[in-house]
Amino acid sequence: MIPLAGSAGYTLPFVGPGTYLIFGIVLAPVYLMVAAWFLGDPADVKKGLLGVGYLAGLTTSLWGSLFVATMVIKFLFF
Amino acid sequence: MSTGDVTDVGRDTLVRPITSFSRRYIAALVFALGLIGVWLFFYIQQLEHGLIVTNLSDWGSGGGVPWGTYIGSFIWWVGIAHGGIILSAAVRLIGLDTYQPVARMAELLTIAALSCAGLFILIHVGRPDRLVTSVLPAWPTRVQWSPLMWDVTVITAYFVLTATYLLLTIRYDIHRLRDRLPDAFEPVYGLLMVGYSEREDQIVERMVWWIAFAIIIMAPLLLHGGVIPWLFALLPSMAGWAGGVQGPSFLSIALTSAVAGIIIIAAAFRYAYGWEELIPDQIFRGLSKWLGFFSLMFLWLQLQQVMTGIFAAPTTLQHATEVKISTPVYWVAIGLVGVALAYIFAAALKPSLFSIRAMVGLSVAVLVGTLIEKTLFVVEGLQHAHFALYDGVPGPYVPSPVELSAIVGTIGIVVLFFLAVSKVIPVVELHAIQDDHEEVDA
Repeated sequence: MIPLAGSAGYTLPFVGPGTYLIFGIVLAPVYLMVAAWFLGDPADVKKGLLGVGYLAGLTTSLWGSLFVATMVIKFLFF
Repeated sequence: MSTGDVTDVGRDTLVRPITSFSRRYIAALVFALGLIGVWLFFYIQQLEHGLIVTNLSDWGSGGGVPWGTYIGSFIWWVGIAHGGIILSAAVRLIGLDTYQPVARMAELLTIAALSCAGLFILIHVGRPDRLVTSVLPAWPTRVQWSPLMWDVTVITAYFVLTATYLLLTIRYDIHRLRDRLPDAFEPVYGLLMVGYSEREDQIVERMVWWIAFAIIIMAPLLLHGGVIPWLFALLPSMAGWAGGVQGPSFLSIALTSAVAGIIIIAAAFRYAYGWEELIPDQIFRGLSKWLGFFSLMFLWLQLQQVMTGIFAAPTTLQHATEVKISTPVYWVAIGLVGVALAYIFAAALKPSLFSIRAMVGLSVAVLVGTLIEKTLFVVEGLQHAHFALYDGVPGPYVPSPVELSAIVGTIGIVVLFFLAVSKVIPVVELHAIQDDHEEVDA
């Protein structure tokens, strides 16, 4: 059954529609990109891992620095 | 489209922003810091007293407008962020080499504009200190249902992809220009160049091609034509927001404002560093045609919405559309984009009419127009909902000085970002002046 927002919760297969939408459709080009880094020609495992490291490191530093900034706001104003 | 050949331009010209230092640079720095200072002055008041200083707290003002210029500006900055990396990706994917000299500026604009978009979310929440500690723990469950969480997820992915793209492409340039770059930034260059060898160039070029591929699918179709409009289009209770036309409409506005942003940035660098050879007139003529095309799409999609909203629409949609077309400032927005389109059309008919100075002025006009349109979209959508729950909230919506100062401040942040980055890395790719650049095909 297609998981529509209007469907009752019990009719959904496992999770809500957002999970299918974001991880099934929107991020599909990213999966393809990462797969091509390792499986395409020419490819190099070390450079592929460098790319994955950038993806993971930037995500962490983005949210980490945002967390620090919000904690500074908390300390100064709340 | 023919282009001026820039492959004769020397490497010293390329690193001119890094090696030169002028009073004009200091003036720009002071200007940017001044804009940020104005915003901080107002924002500190908001942090001390709460969102009440913007009239956006609780039910908001003007018949219930808790979202106003802050959210309009958020959409606007995300839109500006789009064209940058899309232009750069197009250079790699379909060989639009004409625009190679402005590709990296466009990538940098994406990063700066996305940061400003994120900042607008941070400053719009009543308790910014709770943003991360609320969003991250709730993410695994709420991403299933909440368009807001989809938005956070995809914008994070977009930012990370763009930054990865930049970090991978910069390695080639730093290695070859290292002797011209300042020693003071050696730790930065060392970090950027971890594990570099010339053997990686072809592999990394291939990896970057795939990032461009992912971006060119995800950014226009699934982010600014997807999760951003879905923040509004999925809400049937707001007549002015709901409907599938919002996807292409948002995208057309994003691409229009993004090209306008690139024109301004490219013209500023050309003027400041005497880069007439590096960024020739042909690039601006080409960009102006893209601006004209996207402006036409913008106006066409506005026409679609107005026609379907007034001809035989459901009552509340008809009311929302009538309000929209009877709002004078809406026609100011449409007029600003229309004037730019008319000039671009005239310059295409008679090339002697074209001037970069005029294009910069019209690009500013387009940016003002798109900001007005997006803010009106947010405000009027809330004011004319299907239900009348907020009708008792008195007064019209008028952007507060606190909100307006945030627009000024984020412009200052973007200027400061470019001033700082242009002192550390080349803002034009080395490939732009090399005629031996090997294309990597899919």
